[in-house]
Amino acid sequence: MTQRVFRTICCGILGTVFVVGLFAQGFTHYPYALQFREFPNAAPSSMHLLGTDGLGRDFFARVIYGTRVSLLLAPAAALLATAIAAVLGGVAGLRGGWLETLILATADLSMSLPLLFVLIALRAFLPLDVSPVLSVVATFVTLGLLGWPSSLRLVCAASRNLRQSDHLLLARATGYSNSQMLFRQVIPHLRPIFLAQFWISIPLFILTEATLSMLGLGVMEPLPSWGNLLRGSEDFSAMSANPWRLVPLFLLVLTVICFQFVLPSSEELT
Amino acid sequence: MIHWIRKLGQKFALLTALAIVGALLCATMIRFAPGYGMDERELNPGLSQVSRDAIRSEYGTGESLISYYDHYLRSLLHGDLGTSVFLRRPVTELLKERAPLTAKTVSLGLLTAWIAASGLALLTIRFPSWILGHSATTLTGLLIALPTAVIALVFVLLRAPVFLGIAVVTFPKLFRYQQNLLAQAHAQPFVFAAQARGLTRNRILFRHVVPSVWPMLVALLGVSSSMAFGAAIPLEALSDSSGVGQLAWQAALNRDLPLLTSITLFVTLVTVGVNFVADATQERRL
Repeated sequence: MTQRVFRTICCGILGTVFVVGLFAQGFTHYPYALQFREFPNAAPSSMHLLGTDGLGRDFFARVIYGTRVSLLLAPAAALLATAIAAVLGGVAGLRGGWLETLILATADLSMSLPLLFVLIALRAFLPLDVSPVLSVVATFVTLGLLGWPSSLRLVCAASRNLRQSDHLLLARATGYSNSQMLFRQVIPHLRPIFLAQFWISIPLFILTEATLSMLGLGVMEPLPSWGNLLRGSEDFSAMSANPWRLVPLFLLVLTVICFQFVLPSSEELT
Repeated sequence: MIHWIRKLGQKFALLTALAIVGALLCATMIRFAPGYGMDERELNPGLSQVSRDAIRSEYGTGESLISYYDHYLRSLLHGDLGTSVFLRRPVTELLKERAPLTAKTVSLGLLTAWIAASGLALLTIRFPSWILGHSATTLTGLLIALPTAVIALVFVLLRAPVFLGIAVVTFPKLFRYQQNLLAQAHAQPFVFAAQARGLTRNRILFRHVVPSVWPMLVALLGVSSSMAFGAAIPLEALSDSSGVGQLAWQAALNRDLPLLTSITLFVTLVTVGVNFVADATQERRL
């Protein structure tokens, strides 16, 4: 019962944050890059709800638009990672043999790679004058391309179980090709697993993006994200004088905690 | 025994293949990265054409791709990982200088995280109570929800050692995994049979439940090492600790590709090597 109530509350919070991010223009009338040069580092007021940053930009607007970047692109990266896991895991489980061994070995090796090292290495190959929008896309595409191995093992095990099922034998007997079997039988059948893996990947990607952006290797200025809004947090005296600058961190932690409650537990997954 | 040795041989061959493929991939990435072969020294108007040609030949822009790979792999075999563009020093020298510190902090951090996670997981299974279970879940849930860079900043503020930061980052994931494993094993029929025979709770836990999950815990050791190395980047970068993590961050910010790819290859081989040892130990036990 308590679990159910918590889940409902968390779903409500997540829904609200998503809606605010999606319809950012409706919640603030300032563009995220508009500078009020006469009010740098201003305190919260009726004009600027969370004050302004060092360049005089409205911090509330930046938080709202940052929510859009972090919360809408993390699901896109999760979708990419889940799609790769679905196709590779489905093929591995369905075909078996050397192909399964090869795909699983690749996944095992990828899982043992330190993700952040590989991410910053790939990220550094982009030219220095990359546009902010391209930096966002590159960050999340890289996350998506590197985030599939953990989901793949689960998908592969499930499609392996499915390989011997009656309806798949029937489909094979009626002349389905391997790709038809994969896209018409296996993938629709494993939809709950994909959905669970998709939800699990989102908070992971939000956190990784935040760390990358805080290190200056993620989303580039002037585009805001929760991570790059926290970049100035190493200046502790400024932070203690302006505690409202921690709002992006609060939102990030709240969102990830809500995801933890909303996500199915391991017992439910099995 | 023969089967185990054969399996070990296969894994070793895989590790060697990975090293070669990884090295070739690194070489390709450096060769085709934007700006490869460009050196700001060439902008010096006082340089003669001979000097400019000499600078260009340092990068080997004129040679074919095959001879470039050949040159790269030969240098790698002789322990020459190239020269850092940003620091203008041999990469091998930089790694020799910084690797011991990172190895020490990662090992200490992992040890601390494993002791804390195992201890807490065993406590929650041995003394099941609502308060203990929920406190542990809340604590680990909160720590999982914090980005590693934020944990690093808190540690800078507290002036705490970097290894504790690594422990804090890896502890919640280790705890959750271990607690799940132990809880699943504790719900198996053999535990009920042991209880029915009158065995004490400690004896059931330490003599039956823990040994049954041991192979999975050994496998976790390998995964946790890559988690700890990943955490070392933000922690060392923000705490100004001169380890490999900080070097990788500086290399990424300065687009020092030879240094960055060499570090990534080095760390990857270390973590894959740890996984290899963990797998071999696990298979030996099985």
